[in-house]
Amino acid sequence: MITLSNIEKVYQTKTIETVALQNVNLTVPKGEFLSIMGPSGCGKSTLLNIMGLLDIPSSGMVTIDGQPIQTYKDKELAHIRNQKIGFVFQSYHLVNDLSVLDNVELPLLYRSSISGSERTKRAKAALEKVGLSARTQHFPSQLSGGQRQRVAIARALVGQPEIILADEPTGNLDSVMGEEIMNILLDLNRLDGTTIVMVTHDENMALKTERLVRFFDGQQVSDAKLFATFQQV
Amino acid sequence: MIRHLFKLIWNRKKSNFLLITEIFFCFLVLFGVLSFIVYNVRNYSKPLGFKHDNVWLLTMRPPTDSTAQNRQIMEQVIQRVRTFPQVEHASFTSSNAPFAFSQMNNHFSFGNAKSIDADVYEVQDEYKDVMQLNVIKGRWFSTNDNAAGHEPIVINKAFQQHMFGSEEALGKIIQVDDTTKFQVVGVTDYFRAGSEFAAEDPAVFTRINLQKNLNYISNEMLIRVKPGTGIDFEEKMMKEIAGIGKDWALEVATLEKMRQNKAKVTLVPMIALGLVCGFLILNVALGLFGVLWYNISRRNGEIGLRRALGAPSGQIYRQFIGEVLVLATFGLLFGVLFAVQFPLLQVFQVESEVYFTALAGAVVLIYLLTTICALYPSRQAAAIHPAVALHEE
Repeated sequence: MITLSNIEKVYQTKTIETVALQNVNLTVPKGEFLSIMGPSGCGKSTLLNIMGLLDIPSSGMVTIDGQPIQTYKDKELAHIRNQKIGFVFQSYHLVNDLSVLDNVELPLLYRSSISGSERTKRAKAALEKVGLSARTQHFPSQLSGGQRQRVAIARALVGQPEIILADEPTGNLDSVMGEEIMNILLDLNRLDGTTIVMVTHDENMALKTERLVRFFDGQQVSDAKLFATFQQV
Repeated sequence: MIRHLFKLIWNRKKSNFLLITEIFFCFLVLFGVLSFIVYNVRNYSKPLGFKHDNVWLLTMRPPTDSTAQNRQIMEQVIQRVRTFPQVEHASFTSSNAPFAFSQMNNHFSFGNAKSIDADVYEVQDEYKDVMQLNVIKGRWFSTNDNAAGHEPIVINKAFQQHMFGSEEALGKIIQVDDTTKFQVVGVTDYFRAGSEFAAEDPAVFTRINLQKNLNYISNEMLIRVKPGTGIDFEEKMMKEIAGIGKDWALEVATLEKMRQNKAKVTLVPMIALGLVCGFLILNVALGLFGVLWYNISRRNGEIGLRRALGAPSGQIYRQFIGEVLVLATFGLLFGVLFAVQFPLLQVFQVESEVYFTALAGAVVLIYLLTTICALYPSRQAAAIHPAVALHEE
């Protein structure tokens, strides 16, 4: 479970102070599929970065599974990211010089307890889950956008994280590919109980999730349960 | 993680090709210069096999070609020199006195089995005392050799090893041509008269027998003076010798001064090469630093991603240092493959240890250089904020 209490994020330059988030209070229970919507620059990605421990709030408190992370050092934060959080980005963020299999193995590289053969085994299993077991030795440049995003999802789930944070995962894809990716995420949430927080601009995608939170100018303006819609998926 | 780094560098081999090539050539230059330095330092650390302190070289050039007259003056000079209380010993020598810029060598053979080239030093019986040679086997020349059947010869340790190996050398007959035969009567320890940086080459001492060879003329005399003997005596001695050999061109030099002059012949190119090499390394280091910095700044997105996936900043730092070391390893692999041919093929007849020491030194220096060049860019990479890096991508 992720809890954000009175979160505020201010970007300060020599001349300008930009408030990206203010007074955000949000709880994401375990196993929930939450979507976040809002216009560009409203603070959605900043919020996702704070939830993913990639950024720290200017004020307020973040807790993950009841643990406040304010006092955690870089190494501890990295450990939590590695163990509990998986990331999916709009622009996939695959390493072009690594094969599909090596890209998926990446999070496991930072777990010293996992052997090389175990890494490969888990990566192959994750790729099978997203339907890409035939492409393990391909390089990202040899894949379509939808396939790249599926690789990114395989990479996010290979470490069996409790939470997946997806920043506009269908943003660069056409509607058919977008549907495919959305279905994979829904399956992950429904079948594996993975908590998913997804930032999206696509209302249709957002409506397929369990809960929709809207942001405007760094503030949370609505929080709606979409239980009925979610059940129909 | 090491396997991952090798895979990453291998997959980027095209973009890393120039960097690997630069490291390869840098290694070769370092290997060459280090081989030269190691070779000379190793030689320098070996004993010369003689003591040159308080030894003077007197050079005498007669004005006429009259052998009989010159020979008479030559003998008078050495007799007079030996009578000075400041002189301990004096000996005529061939023109290749220690540290002189002249060489004399010949081709020696032992039966039909083996033949080698060796430096030849023509010396008198007192030469051993002048140069304080250490005879480790047999004996030095003496007046008893006047009646010897074969010409006596004293060889150095290197000659024994090259010509006879582990066999006993004493008593063996070696010859220069079909007519001149020498019998080995003694073996000296080291004898490296060329310079302090010279290798220990085979050398032989042949005896100047003034009674037997009445036409022998020597223009060089080595004189061991008592410690503390200075310029006053030199002036007095030269004045007296000038009185004996009128119109003879006389010159005195200390072996210490000659040693310094001879050392410069090796030291100057060694320092020049060292400076050129240092300048080259500085350029390579700056180039490497720039390329690494550029490469790392191009990979901000990847850095952000790795941080998001659970890499602490320290791990990013180590990864980039590791990548540079892997890059260096690729460059070195090709370099070592090339360099190792030198000891295997015995290029330039240099001992294998010289090449292997230079090779190890060059490898260590390249790793050190690349690590130093990678430290700052890697630290910059580790300091990149993951959210910012991902946003930039």
